[in-house]
Amino acid sequence: MNRPLRRLAAVLFVAFAILAAGTTYAQVLAGPGYRDDNRNTRTIIDEARRERGAILSADGVVLAESVADPSDPRSFRRRYPQGPTYAHVVGVAATILADRGLEAELADTLESGRDATISGLFSALTGDDLRARSVRLTIDDRLQQAAVAALGGQKGAIVAIDPTTGAVLAMVSAPAFDPNGLIGLTTDLGNALENDPDRPLLNRAIQETYAPGSTFKTVTAAAAIEGGGAGADSLYPNPAQLTLPGSTATISNFNGGTCGPGDEVTLAVALIRSCNTVFGVIGMETGAGDLIGTAEAFGFNDDIPFALRGATSAVPPAESLASDLPAVAQTALGQRDVRATPLQMALVASAIANGGVVMTPYVVDEIIDADGDVVEETAPTEWRRATSPATARVIADLLREAVETGTGRNAAVSGVVVAGKTGTAEVPDGPPHPWFIGFALMDTTSPIALAVVVESGGDLGDAATGGGVAAPIARQLIETWVALIS
Amino acid sequence: MTRHGEAALVVFAAVIAALGVTAVNFSRSVGIDATAVLTLVVFVIAFGGLHLAVREWAPSAIPYLVPLAALITAVGYAEVYRIDSALASRQLWWLVTSAGIATAALFGLRDRGVSVLRRYRYLLLATGLGLLLLPLLPETWPLRGAVINGSRLWVRLDLPLGGTLSFQPGEIAKIAIVVFLASYLAERGRQLATMSSRLGPVHMPDPRQLVPLGLAFVVAFAVLIYQRDLGASLLLFALFVTMLFAATGRHAYLAVGGLMIAGGGVAAWSAFGHVQTRVTAWLHPFDDYLGGGYQVAQGLFALGSGSLTGSGLGVGRPDLIPAAATDYIFAAVAEEMGLAGALAVIVAFALFTAAGLGIALRSRDLFRKLLAGGLTLVLAIQTILILAGVLRLFPVTGLTLPFMSYGGSSLMANMVLLALLLRISHEERT
Repeated sequence: MNRPLRRLAAVLFVAFAILAAGTTYAQVLAGPGYRDDNRNTRTIIDEARRERGAILSADGVVLAESVADPSDPRSFRRRYPQGPTYAHVVGVAATILADRGLEAELADTLESGRDATISGLFSALTGDDLRARSVRLTIDDRLQQAAVAALGGQKGAIVAIDPTTGAVLAMVSAPAFDPNGLIGLTTDLGNALENDPDRPLLNRAIQETYAPGSTFKTVTAAAAIEGGGAGADSLYPNPAQLTLPGSTATISNFNGGTCGPGDEVTLAVALIRSCNTVFGVIGMETGAGDLIGTAEAFGFNDDIPFALRGATSAVPPAESLASDLPAVAQTALGQRDVRATPLQMALVASAIANGGVVMTPYVVDEIIDADGDVVEETAPTEWRRATSPATARVIADLLREAVETGTGRNAAVSGVVVAGKTGTAEVPDGPPHPWFIGFALMDTTSPIALAVVVESGGDLGDAATGGGVAAPIARQLIETWVALIS
Repeated sequence: MTRHGEAALVVFAAVIAALGVTAVNFSRSVGIDATAVLTLVVFVIAFGGLHLAVREWAPSAIPYLVPLAALITAVGYAEVYRIDSALASRQLWWLVTSAGIATAALFGLRDRGVSVLRRYRYLLLATGLGLLLLPLLPETWPLRGAVINGSRLWVRLDLPLGGTLSFQPGEIAKIAIVVFLASYLAERGRQLATMSSRLGPVHMPDPRQLVPLGLAFVVAFAVLIYQRDLGASLLLFALFVTMLFAATGRHAYLAVGGLMIAGGGVAAWSAFGHVQTRVTAWLHPFDDYLGGGYQVAQGLFALGSGSLTGSGLGVGRPDLIPAAATDYIFAAVAEEMGLAGALAVIVAFALFTAAGLGIALRSRDLFRKLLAGGLTLVLAIQTILILAGVLRLFPVTGLTLPFMSYGGSSLMANMVLLALLLRISHEERT
C-alpha cells in the first residue's frame, strides 16, 4: 500500500529540488541581470539614494552635492546649489528621468560603490576604496556666472577655454533649467522641458550647430596663407558686389560698399573689416581642397574628444565643391553648408592663440577621493595642429587689429590685448546669429579664448550684428577675467 | 526529539517573528516597540497553545510539525508586516483564531479520533461543494460573493456590529474534499484498482464505481471554472489524481489524469483570456512588461535584487510587486532575506512534506494513511505550484503559499490541516 505513496514522495522531493535549483538560478546566476535591468525600479531608486561625490568648480564652489535625507539617514538627496547656471555641463542625476551632463558621464566615478551586496562586502574587505569620489572642474565659477549674466537671458551659448591647455573655463547655454526640479519621482517638469519650443535641455555650446558666418573667415584666411601661399599683404580684387561665376547670385559687403578705397585690397584689411566680396574671391582662389583641408585641420568633420558628447561641426566635402565655385565662395564666408558648434569655434580661436595647436578640451580637472587626495589629474594633450605657428601668428595679429580698429571694437578691454573676429551668420528665415570668437592675452598668465553666439539676434532681432551683440558679451567676460587675474 | 524540544522550537519561531518585526522597525528608524512584543506574545499563545493541545490530546504525535508550521508562519508574518503593517495586525488575529480552531479540532477528535470523520463523509462532500458554491451568491445579499482580481472566489459577510468579513471558502473546501476522498477511496480503492470492465481494448474499473467520484469532481470543477479560479481547479484535480494513484497504485490513473490536466489546460487557455495572459506572462514576461508581464517581471527583479543574502528586512522594495503579501510572498522573502532565506523556506516546506508523508507511510489504517497522504499532498502541491509560478517554471496560478501568505481562510485551512496531521500521527503511534 505504501509503494504509490513513496513514488509520490519521490516526485514531490524532485519538485522541491527543482524549486531550490530554480531559486538559486533566479537569485544568483540570472540575478545580476534582473537586478541591473533598467526596468527594475529598485536599481533606479537605489542609485538615487546612494551617495555621490561632489562636483566642484575650479575655485571650489559646490556645483552638486549629496546631502543625507533627514527622513532616512541611509539615503541621500542630490542638490545643485547653483541652480540653472551649470544645468548643461554638470547636468542632473535624476531618479526616473535619464541622467544628464557630467552626472551621467561621470556616474561611475561619482557614485559610491558601497552597497549591501556580497561583492560590495568583498571589495571592502580587499581594500578597494568604494567611497564616493568628487571631481573638480576646470570651470571658474566667477567666469561662469559672468557668462550667464552677459548673455542676459538671450538664447545662445558661450564657451571659454585656456588655449594653452584646453581647460574649459566657462560653458554656458541659455535658456537653461533648474536641475533641482528634475530630481524625484515625477516626470512632469521633465516632459515640459522636453516639449518646450525653446529647447532648454539642449546644451547649445556643444550640441547645437550654427552657421559660423564671418567668424569662419579666420579659417579661410588660414587656408589662404597655409595652402595658397598668401600673406597678410597679398592683394585681392575689391568689388562692391561679387557676381558668382556661372550664376546670377551675388555677394555684397555688409555696408553695401567696397572694402575701403582702391581696386585691390590686402588680406589683412579684408579680414579686419570682414569683407564678404574679397573673402569670396579669397575662397575661390584658395580652392576647395585647401579650404576644406584647413577647416578639417581645425577639427571640423570630426568628433571633438570631450567629456560631454556634442554635435560634429561640418564643412562640405572638398569633392562636392570642386566644380562649384559659388559654393566655395559661400563656404569661405561660413555660410551655405558650414555648421559649427560654439565649442568648435572656441577651438578655432584657441588654435590661433596657441601657435596653431588645438589642445584637447577638457572640463574635469581632478578626481578627489573621500580623504581629499587627488587620485587622478587630467594632463593637457594636443588634439591636432590646425596651422603652422607662423600662420597662427599672422592671423593673431590681424584679429588683434580687428578688435583695435575693425569690426570687433566692442570687445576691446583696456589694459589687455584682445583679438577677435565677429560674425553675423545669415539664416534662411529669421534674424541672423551674431557671433564673436577671439582671445585675450596678459603677460602674467595664460590667455583665454572664447566663442559667443546669440541665437536669432537676441534682443535686437534683425538689427543684430556680431559686433553689436556678441562682441560686448565677450568684453564683459574678458573684463571679469582681467579682474580675476589682477 | 521530545515535547520539550518542540516547545523550545515554538518559542524560537516566535522569537524569529518578533526579531523580523524589530528588523523592519529598525529599518524605519522606529526601534523596539509594542508590535514586536505583541508578535512574540501572539505567536507564543497561538503555537504554544497548539503545542499544549498536542500534549493533552495528541501526545504521541511527532514533534516536528508544529515548529515547522510556526517557523514558516513566522517568516511569512515578518514579511507581511514589512509589506503592510495593517495587514499584519489582522494576520495576528487570524493566527489566534486559526490556532484556536486547530486546538478545537484536536479537542473534538480527542476520544474517537479522525475515524469519526468517515461517518460524515457525504456531509463533508456536501459542505465542500457548498463552500465552493458560496462565491456565487448574489452580490446584494449580506453574505455574498465578490470578484477580486478577475476571479470570483471570495465571500463577504457583513458583520452585525459593522465591518465586513472576507474569506475564500475554497481553502476550507479543500480540506473537506481531502477527507471525503480519503474516506471514499479507503473503502472503494480495491474496486477502483481492479480492472474488471473493458471499453474496447482498454481495461477499466467497473464504471459504477467511478460514478460518484466522477460526479463530485465534475461539479467541483464546473464551479471552479465558472469562478475562474483555475489555480484551485488545477490543485484539486492534481490532488484527485494523486490520491487515486495512492489508493490504487494504478499508473493508469496518473496517465489519464495527466492527459486530462494537459487537455484541460489547453482548453482553459483557448477559452479564458486571463489564462492566455498568464501563459504569455510566463513565457515572455518582458514583452508586455507594463501590462500582463508586470507581476512576473517584478517578481524576477525582486529575486535578482535579493541575491545571496538579500537586502535585509525592510530595506528592499518588495512593495513594488503586485500581490506581494499573498501570491508573491515568496518573491518578497527572497528579495529581503536572499537566497539563504528562500532556500530555508523551501527546505522547511520539504521537511513538512516529509513529516506528513512519513505519518501516512507509517499509518496502518488505510483511511488514516490516505488522509495524512492527501492532506500533505494538497499542501505540497499548492506550495510547489505557486513557487514554480514565482520562479517562472510554470504559469502563475494565483494560489496562496500555505502558512506564509497573508489571508485568514488560507491560514485557518492550513492550521486545521496541521491539526488533522497531528491527530493522525498520534493515532498511528498508539
